Amino acid sequence: MAEHHTQKKTPAQKTFDLLSALLTDNPVYKSIFRTGYPSTLLKRMAVMRSSFYMHLFPTKVGEHGLKLRYSWCMGGITFFLFLLLSLTGILLMFYYVPEEHRAFHDMKDLRFMVPFGVVLRNMHRWAAHGMVLAVMLHMMRVFYTGSYKAPRQFNWVVGVLLLLFTLLLSFTGYLLPWDQLGFWAVTVGTNMASATPLLGYEGPFHELLGVQIDNDIRFAIIGGTRIGPNALVRAYVWHCVGIPLVATLLMVFHFWRIRKDGFSGPL
Amino acid sequence: MEQELRPDKSGYMLMNKPGYPRVSSWPHLIWLIFLMMLFITIVLWAVSFLAYAPLEEMAEWAKTPNPAKAPWYFIGLQELLVYFDPWIAGVMLPNQILIGLILIPYVDITPSEQGHYRWSNRRFAVAYFTFGIAFWATLIFVGQLLRGPSWQIYWPIIDYDISGHTWTREGVPLKQGGLKLASMSTGTGMALIIGFFTIGMILPFMVTKLFPKSNVVKALDKYLKELGYIKYFVVQSHVLMMGATVMKIILRLGFNIKYIIETPWFKI
Ligand code: HEM
Repeated sequence: MAEHHTQKKTPAQKTFDLLSALLTDNPVYKSIFRTGYPSTLLKRMAVMRSSFYMHLFPTKVGEHGLKLRYSWCMGGITFFLFLLLSLTGILLMFYYVPEEHRAFHDMKDLRFMVPFGVVLRNMHRWAAHGMVLAVMLHMMRVFYTGSYKAPRQFNWVVGVLLLLFTLLLSFTGYLLPWDQLGFWAVTVGTNMASATPLLGYEGPFHELLGVQIDNDIRFAIIGGTRIGPNALVRAYVWHCVGIPLVATLLMVFHFWRIRKDGFSGPL
Repeated sequence: MEQELRPDKSGYMLMNKPGYPRVSSWPHLIWLIFLMMLFITIVLWAVSFLAYAPLEEMAEWAKTPNPAKAPWYFIGLQELLVYFDPWIAGVMLPNQILIGLILIPYVDITPSEQGHYRWSNRRFAVAYFTFGIAFWATLIFVGQLLRGPSWQIYWPIIDYDISGHTWTREGVPLKQGGLKLASMSTGTGMALIIGFFTIGMILPFMVTKLFPKSNVVKALDKYLKELGYIKYFVVQSHVLMMGATVMKIILRLGFNIKYIIETPWFKI
């Protein structure tokens, strides 16, 4: 910046400048970060465009959108919690096997045997609740600021799907500890599916399609007539592979659309 | 005119006009994101060191807990099971909520009201959405915090210690759900439902025709004209569905009505 040249520098500042020059003014650093330290407006623009991660964001943003009282940062918080959940989730997968007789004991091991296992599991659990809460709050802020209006209508639709998949992610994870809490919560939840009209064995008009307890939609979801080992494996695969994959694709699309439609602001 | 109002290109936005206050993303936005990540990480760590994730006994098919509760974000639907059969509470209503949410941008008629928390030109939309959120939150609150064994209402402090996690107190028996419930006759029920939706559909138009032109009525008239029949039908169906859900809850709580319509195939 300009004042660097006008002000007289103390020895400490000179040393700092020298060290940072050593660090940034060399071919290796420049091969990784294409621009030097972004100290001028030009370099600040360049750093946003030339870095893979930074180019998610625009080079300049409107001041109103930066205010916390506008966006609550809630979409960002939702996404960051998703990243933390992926990280802690992968670590949990090292210690957890979705098998009827083993799953619960793996939870106990995490609590009592694995170093920091209890913090790992707690972080995953609380972040999951946090993400559900954050995505609801994010939807509310988008509604109350009218940010779903043209040209962002379709991104709102993508958002509603993301809301659904966030809930499903959390719900499939609920069964995995294989304790009474999750087991019965998921039993209650999946029982609702058996009431689907036509497709559920307790739903209206199910006779028309010859639907029974062992061929209805609930059977297809949980792989049995009640929650058992098949349901556990299904919950695990949906939770760790299927839904995160779909949710990630939707998020990539969501972010791309924010860039293309422009972040909301007064007209 | 229509084209001008519709910001189909983000170029319409003030933000993209020259002179609008903009700042470089580095460092302003990046800094904010960095602080946000730091803050969330610290909070999550703190919580995770202080509060343990729940882990109950190992799952056992033969031991059904009473009550067995869904996770909190789905407990609103479970709470609706008090008032509706599962095919409505667990299948139709959640689908209606999702479809309703998806439709919001497509029935909106104030495209220019965006980018700020200013609701004077979209009072109805804001009121309806807020009511829906509050309804959902109330159901979660009741289901999560007030429901005990046999899905009966248990009041904290009065019925059980908040410090403990059990609804049983020495010498106090668990509540029983022995309420006598009645159903309407099919004729009355059909008339009620058809009447509710028909009158509900035409009521706003009748109000604008029959009532003196006060400011509220004028605003309603203007709103209906701008909305057009198709969007009106879509919006009003959802308003009436939510209204019907509330009405059924009132009928059940206030008048002990179990079903409005009973057929051999389904009950409402
Ligand atoms: C996993 C879930 C979600 C993630 C990670 C996510 C992430 C984000 C992020 C990071 C933003 C940028 C602005 C901000 O932080 O507020 C954003 C904007 C937006 N989100 Fe989401 N979102 C999610 C779910 C939703 C839902 C449920 C909705 C609505 C139903 C939604 C609708 C929108 C819209 C319309 C915008 C543009 C807002 C504007 O331009 O002001 N998103 N989202």
